[in-house]
Amino acid sequence: MMRLLLAVLIAAFAAAPAVTLAQAPNGLVIQVATEPPGLDLTSNPSSAIAAVVFDNVQEGLIKIDRHGKMVPWLAERWYTSDSKNYTFFLRKGVRFHNGRELKASDVKFALDRAVNPETKHPYRVQYDVIQDVIVKDDYTVTVALKRVDATFLYTVARQGSVIYPREAVDTLKSQPMGTGPFTVAEWVRGDRIVLTKNKDYWVKGLPKLDRVVYRFIPDPNAALAALKAGDIDVSAFGIGPESVDELKKDARFQVIVGDTTNDVTLSMNNSKKPYSDKRVRLAITHAINKEEVLKGAMFGYGKVLGSNVDPTNPYYVDVSKRVGYDPVKAKKLLADAGYPNGFEAVFKVAPQYYYTVRSAEVVSSQLAKVGIRASIQQIEWGQWLSQVFCLAPCTNPDYDMSIIGHAEAFDIGNFANPKYYFRWDSPEFQKLFRASESAPDDKTRRELYVKMQDMLADEAPAVWLYMHPRLVVTKKGVTGIWKDLPLPVLDLSEVAWQK
Amino acid sequence: MAALAATLLFVSLLVFVVVRVLPGDPALIILGLEANADSVARVRRELGLDQPITVQYAHWVTRALSGDLGRSIQYDLPVATLILSRLTVTLPLTLLAAALMIAAAIPLGVYAATHHRRWGDYLTMVLSQLGVAVPGFWAGLLLILLFSVQLGWVQAGGFDGWGQGFWRGVRSLLLPAVALGLFQFAVLARTTRSALLEVLREEYVKTARAKGVAERGVLFRHALRNALIPIVTVAGVQLGQLLAGSIILESVFYLPGLGRLTLAAISARDLPVVQGVVLFVASMIVTVNAAVDILYGILDPRIRYG
Repeated sequence: MMRLLLAVLIAAFAAAPAVTLAQAPNGLVIQVATEPPGLDLTSNPSSAIAAVVFDNVQEGLIKIDRHGKMVPWLAERWYTSDSKNYTFFLRKGVRFHNGRELKASDVKFALDRAVNPETKHPYRVQYDVIQDVIVKDDYTVTVALKRVDATFLYTVARQGSVIYPREAVDTLKSQPMGTGPFTVAEWVRGDRIVLTKNKDYWVKGLPKLDRVVYRFIPDPNAALAALKAGDIDVSAFGIGPESVDELKKDARFQVIVGDTTNDVTLSMNNSKKPYSDKRVRLAITHAINKEEVLKGAMFGYGKVLGSNVDPTNPYYVDVSKRVGYDPVKAKKLLADAGYPNGFEAVFKVAPQYYYTVRSAEVVSSQLAKVGIRASIQQIEWGQWLSQVFCLAPCTNPDYDMSIIGHAEAFDIGNFANPKYYFRWDSPEFQKLFRASESAPDDKTRRELYVKMQDMLADEAPAVWLYMHPRLVVTKKGVTGIWKDLPLPVLDLSEVAWQK
Repeated sequence: MAALAATLLFVSLLVFVVVRVLPGDPALIILGLEANADSVARVRRELGLDQPITVQYAHWVTRALSGDLGRSIQYDLPVATLILSRLTVTLPLTLLAAALMIAAAIPLGVYAATHHRRWGDYLTMVLSQLGVAVPGFWAGLLLILLFSVQLGWVQAGGFDGWGQGFWRGVRSLLLPAVALGLFQFAVLARTTRSALLEVLREEYVKTARAKGVAERGVLFRHALRNALIPIVTVAGVQLGQLLAGSIILESVFYLPGLGRLTLAAISARDLPVVQGVVLFVASMIVTVNAAVDILYGILDPRIRYG
């Protein structure tokens, strides 16, 4: 028995050379932490779906490029005279993966479907502004809006607005079809998704890779081992900041550290005492040394924030010094508010996101120095969603403080929504936000955004701790990966191996 | 047979209730941050979660009896199909771990027992103590560091499928199988040693030796055979534990097996999958235990079941 087993083991080592999926010619193996819950961008807001499908398999009329700029994509240009009627002129000769040419009626189908409440579109509210989609001819389509909406073009560029052929609408979840540089070749549930090159892609010379394999490796240690063993070429979302310094020193790898739209936010329940008192919220903000939080939780990677607007946003201004670290002032504010001896508080955090617990640990020790005794309660993600985020049927959020990353770009509107889980109700801010949404020009909108950022910092309905960094590790020789993430996407069209 | 059916029925009831008392509504998790009262009610209706729990249970059990375990919420595939596809990884992994465990533990246990209180015995005990003390996931990481990262002999994880060849399949399961079987190996080696030591002190062993039976014959024909009952009992229980242990090790080695399916299903509140997998694994364990009972009768003809 022993000998037989030994023989089997030796044969296993000898017979199969250590070839893995990584060595496929002109292919790339990417580690991602989460397997996407289906591949339908129009049914689920998950960034894990976007990482595979958005800009790789399916594309929109407008694209947000690696610098955060809007560029014409499936629409070669667009035009509006009144900011209420937008006419898009489609690029000719763009074909879906099934060979059929993209026509204006496909755009109408996709947008009508997004507006329709029956389709469960995850961002339906943003499409509510659409009054009608009118096909002018095969390559011209006009979208009529109910009112001026400054974020409309951004809505057209985001992941929920990809254009797909109407005949493939039933297979979006498992076999999404689009116009993108890659097609979905295989999805082995629980293990990998394989994309292959779309040879008829409308952008000449792209994509540069023939084949991409996404491997789902949730464990950061396993991801690190796979990278070091050469099983994967890129770790896109999985290596923790604690490994970055070590990998930077390793000549086999390159580490890309960039910006994201993920704002790690300390939320407070503004509907509850003592957080309903602005002085208490300001005291909490003054008590937190954000640089130290960044060091303690993220090994210094990331950027300190002062408001909800992050550095990838075109209207960003640095307001992080407006309410700076000042524990003496914090104590005084607490005393003024009637809490000279501080108070007890509970942080509810979901350990599914490692940075939430780490940040809460650093913050609670800082708060203790001004007398706020905050304990940390770790709860499971589903519970977090119902207790803290207060999804239906919850009517009142049940928390004091929490920490979570808000990854949506242009999500300042959350603070204009008194029903959002911060429960901050400021008519003045809501007015500013509404004005920014219908601003006639970019200059006015920018001014309003600056005012909103100042107001958020001064009113402190939450504490914006830091921008979560983008940390990507690749083998040396991989080029074309985006450094910054102006929106959650993993665009691989220009990624290549250096010759 | 009746006991077997009753056990399974009890397991099905238990898993059904436990899955439902877990906090976290599947509808909320599916809808995520965009949920509202209407969409939650609609999804709950679609999933049949608006029905009374007794009705839900009756539906599930009657369908399960005909092999229909429902449909995965997350993957939109039949649960039975998902289980079968994942079994092509977990079953070979468990069997390989079991084979490695038995092939290493029994000879080592026999060696320790026959070299009682000598260096070989102490060394075996130290080794098996280590095996008991080191958690499988940590052993797995150490094995990856040594064999994949340092030596580059095998890949650090993943499973490329049996389509790539039998040896390649075995090769990618080798490290996880060793890590998975380590703890069980240690327990089985210690069990074998103590069971054999006990038998070796019996009168009939002395008689056999006095009769002039060769030591090899005494050991294998007389002693080991009689020591096998506790060994088989432990090994049978261990087979079930190996299946359970695969949940952690499949994550460490990112293998697309039943364990990872279960873990993903629990965090996504994919109730049909969680229920289906637990029921399936419980049936396997119950079957293995029944097989062990039958094996007793073969090993010791005095044992008969009424």
